[in-house]
Amino acid sequence: MKPSSSHAFINQLLAYTIMMICVTGTVGLGTVWLRHQISEIANATKGMERAIAATERQIAESTARLAAEESPETLERKNEVMALGLVPPHALQIVRISESPEERLAAKRNMEIFAEEAVEGTAAVRFSLNSFR
Amino acid sequence: MSKGFTSSYRLILLATTVLVCFAGVGVRLVHLHVLDRERLVSYVDRARSSIARQEARRGDILDARGDVLATSRTVIALGVDPQSLHAEDEIKWPKLAQLLELPLSEIQTIFANKTRQTESGEIRDVRWIKLRDGIEESTYLAIQELEIKGVYGNRSYRRVYPRNSLASHVIGYLNRENMPSGGIESFANFYLKGQDGWMETEKDGKRREMAQFRHREVAAKAGYSVVLSIDSVVQHLIETELNFISETYHPQKATILVSDAASGFLLGMANYPSYNLNEYGEAPLAVQRNVAVTDLIDPGSTFKIVVASGALDAGLVTPETEFNCSINSIEYRGRVRQFMPDDHDHDHPLSVAEIISQSSNVGAAQLGMKLGEKGLYDAARKFGFGEKSGFQLGYESGGLLNTPDKWSALEITRIPAGYSISATPLQIHYAMSTIASGGQLLRPQIIREIRDEKGEGVYSFGGVSRRQVIKPVVAQQMAKMLMGVTEDGTAKAAAIPGYQVAGKTGTAQKLIDGKYSNRNHVGSFVGFFPASDPQVVITVIVDDAKLDRGRVNYGSAVAVPSFKRIAEKLISYLDIKPAVPGETANYAMRGLTQ
Repeated sequence: MKPSSSHAFINQLLAYTIMMICVTGTVGLGTVWLRHQISEIANATKGMERAIAATERQIAESTARLAAEESPETLERKNEVMALGLVPPHALQIVRISESPEERLAAKRNMEIFAEEAVEGTAAVRFSLNSFR
Repeated sequence: MSKGFTSSYRLILLATTVLVCFAGVGVRLVHLHVLDRERLVSYVDRARSSIARQEARRGDILDARGDVLATSRTVIALGVDPQSLHAEDEIKWPKLAQLLELPLSEIQTIFANKTRQTESGEIRDVRWIKLRDGIEESTYLAIQELEIKGVYGNRSYRRVYPRNSLASHVIGYLNRENMPSGGIESFANFYLKGQDGWMETEKDGKRREMAQFRHREVAAKAGYSVVLSIDSVVQHLIETELNFISETYHPQKATILVSDAASGFLLGMANYPSYNLNEYGEAPLAVQRNVAVTDLIDPGSTFKIVVASGALDAGLVTPETEFNCSINSIEYRGRVRQFMPDDHDHDHPLSVAEIISQSSNVGAAQLGMKLGEKGLYDAARKFGFGEKSGFQLGYESGGLLNTPDKWSALEITRIPAGYSISATPLQIHYAMSTIASGGQLLRPQIIREIRDEKGEGVYSFGGVSRRQVIKPVVAQQMAKMLMGVTEDGTAKAAAIPGYQVAGKTGTAQKLIDGKYSNRNHVGSFVGFFPASDPQVVITVIVDDAKLDRGRVNYGSAVAVPSFKRIAEKLISYLDIKPAVPGETANYAMRGLTQ
């Protein structure tokens, strides 16, 4: 049976209204979910920033502590307390080498090689006279 | 749809109800968003909006080796909200007291103090009482782990000086209000302070930040670090020597300066008395003054290098030119002028070289007369006397050098001996540095580099020559003559075997109540080495030392031994090689073509 036009209109209106409520609700819930996600990410970022700041604070504290421990005054006190007997070198204890240390070490090594060969009897230079015949 | 599903009456009623509901919501929305918008928005803004300031971390001050001289770190002011305390946390109080290094009874008293009476007699809840200030991060972390409800802290940056009194006059300090006071802290504040950041955000009903509503965020920019030319080890060496001087001679004040001969960069700058930068509040203002740049002294015989250099540079004399130094007076410009007497008689006329090595006042006065008033004044000005050196840290005195038209008849005999003229220790040091650098007056420099927070260089400072004062060849002659001071002159104790040490002693009577005192002196020694290839310039000035058996505070008695001790230590630390005569004949002039 075909419904009257007024009934059809009301039924359609009701259907559209329900559909609109559903759509609006879905959009609303989506927006809430989206906002919640934004909030979660923002809080996570904030947490990370906090952790970075805390680490930086700890680094700054360690730097200050390290600098205090490295100060000449502290090192001298520790030298005394721990009876290490460390003293700066005196000018007389310093031997200055004017020549190149690389060349000096190379010459020393070469001398050692030649000395070894002389002991083994392989250092002598030999010429084969047969080749000249 | 069947008719049985619903009647038209019911449908109309339902539809009307829904529409009315929507209309109601719409009307309310219009009311909230349009009609009452401004009032509500301002209320929400007040309640939720907040602008959070982010404090920028102040940059560090580093020495030449990159060691930290001043840094910023967070400290916590710990407090308690007595209203929020829970009874079950009471068991943790002893541990808290232990961490705070406070007696448990004190903690219990503070925690029990829940109300206070206002001036009008009203009783109010106490919401915050400070427990302790300046708590370190590691301690605060341990306190947080106790999880005592109501105990929390507020962070703030605090400036710390890990090396306490080391280079205190150079570094300066940041006071409780974060205002810089003196030294690098004040001079380089522009670089050090950084830029605070800010952030517009919103907070919830419990005043917690809602991070998702952050907008318009400007990140804080940390300050730059300032790298000094001061070397902590050199600085420590000279401060140790100053401690020795103060304990042995109880002077009024003393100054030691060490600088690089070629560039003019200061490697060490120390004064006695000094103070601990972390306890600046306990140091009187007089102690906080950098006397090396603020206080004036008569240079005494160290000024003779200016007179001799001036006369040599003008071609008026040679190092061999001789003067009769056994006389008491001389006629100059038609008037008889009395000399300042020498400490001992001379059995022969003194050459210019001997005038310097024997520190003859009579000889110096005659050299001054050779130059004439204007020539002497010009020579002194060229060497930087009577003008500010341009030292970066400021607070500098320009010294006292009157123009010749204001000189009395005696000045021509007094000024060459270093009297009637006043200078800062820094001016005296750089006058000697002029000889060491081949005749160039260098600007005192103390900042090497500015670095960003990643440690990358932003700006570098180099050595600056203010002017060419004397010819390089004259500087060479002067260096040779000054070697005579340590070889057979007034500072034989400054000689270091294997090294050519050049220098000049100075002893100036102090002006007390308008008269030169016979008991109070300023003793000094300014020198450099190796004379043929200068590496460092060292100045030791001791003001009013008290020597045993009433001995006079001659520069040779107090300053010279200190110079030698410092020089010997610098030889091994800076690896200063002995200059071999002949091989490196480069007297006082690097880069001089011979």
